[in-house]
Amino acid sequence: MLKFRNYVRVESEAAFKEAIASIEGPVVLLAGGSDVLVQAREDDRFRDHTALDIFGVQAWHAIVETEKDLVIGGMATHAMIADSPLVNRYAPILAEASLSVGSPQIRNHSTIGGNIANASPAADTLASLVVLDAKVVVLKDGKEHVLPLDEVITGPYKTSLSDRDVIVSVRVPKLSEDVRHNYTKIGRRRALSISRMTIATLLQLDGDGVVTKFDMTVGATFPKPAAFPDISAMLVGKKPSSDDIRAVARALSDKIPEIAGIRASTRYKQPVCRRLAERILHELIGDE
Amino acid sequence: MRKIPLSFTLNGKSYEIEADPGARMIDVIRNDLELTGTKEGCGVGECGACTVIFNGDPVASCLLLAGQMQGADILTIEAMSELDLGHLLQDKFLEEDAVQCGFCTPGFVLVAYALLQKNPNVTREEIREAIAGNICRCTGYIPIVNAIEKTAEHLRDA
Repeated sequence: MLKFRNYVRVESEAAFKEAIASIEGPVVLLAGGSDVLVQAREDDRFRDHTALDIFGVQAWHAIVETEKDLVIGGMATHAMIADSPLVNRYAPILAEASLSVGSPQIRNHSTIGGNIANASPAADTLASLVVLDAKVVVLKDGKEHVLPLDEVITGPYKTSLSDRDVIVSVRVPKLSEDVRHNYTKIGRRRALSISRMTIATLLQLDGDGVVTKFDMTVGATFPKPAAFPDISAMLVGKKPSSDDIRAVARALSDKIPEIAGIRASTRYKQPVCRRLAERILHELIGDE
Repeated sequence: MRKIPLSFTLNGKSYEIEADPGARMIDVIRNDLELTGTKEGCGVGECGACTVIFNGDPVASCLLLAGQMQGADILTIEAMSELDLGHLLQDKFLEEDAVQCGFCTPGFVLVAYALLQKNPNVTREEIREAIAGNICRCTGYIPIVNAIEKTAEHLRDA
């Protein structure tokens, strides 16, 4: 039996604001609910919480574009994101990452806002959101705040959000169509596996093969999302040689013990990251 | 938790019931509505046995709360024999020996139903992707994929 103190469902932002003002005691926001229900089954951590169901707030489901950004509603499901023509056009790496989440049944009800708020280090979309330089729009105390991802996620399963703050959307700068991308996920099996590691890469070359944009990061590895401008700088402005690629792969894999410390998994993850990073970069550059 | 009125459509029929909104959807379906064709396997969304079709898409009914059923249009395995595509799938599952112990079967049939309802022109690979959220420990999956493929062929030839 799941333990919640109460269940309240809202279907508009106005009703949400009213609800968080009137509900006494702690709130647990229910987006798709695919993480909350599993947690509620494990123990009685939500015994005193009101489950506030926000999945029905239609305004938070939309995926739209502005001149510069894609705006993905916090309640957009991973299935919606994977299928969205706008996401596939302007941020295809996020569509691919969303398609690797859980299973079809999970993707039909799990949301990007929930994925961020749950702050699992293994969340499949995070590495892609990092290289896309995504910003999180949080409704806090009645006002919208645009925050970098690493200010929202502060550690494993930890966020800077209060129980009444909601992720209303995620803003992703639109990529030009000549930006190449690669999303790689390693899990124990293809469906329903928790990622052991994800690698997200964006690369843009000019007509002479010189790198004009490069972003690469590893997911399911660090306590919180991490971007590496120092690694980007290793290729930008260069026509990468095999030695350059090898150096980038080494630098990226060296981040693993540097940031996460030496863990049981490091002996596996570090060499796997290095070899995969080399392979991904050669593929994206198309030099072999 | 105190029961609240819930109205939804299930298997084409309108329901107005009183249920604990904090109960899981699968518990309402199995215990309150006594529709026990929906099975609970893992209870954490990993096995697909509890799959129902929720507003057109397959979801894990162990991961939704009863309150989330409000206003929804839901199909469970009990509806399948009454629907042309559902009935066809049942026939093909039998013909292809896609059922052994049967515990996972409702989930597979519903996923196949949602898939073919949207698009009967599916490849074998697309069938495999669609059933990636369902676990079967008896058949080795191949007869299940065959059954869904045969159903799709039948629809295309019809």
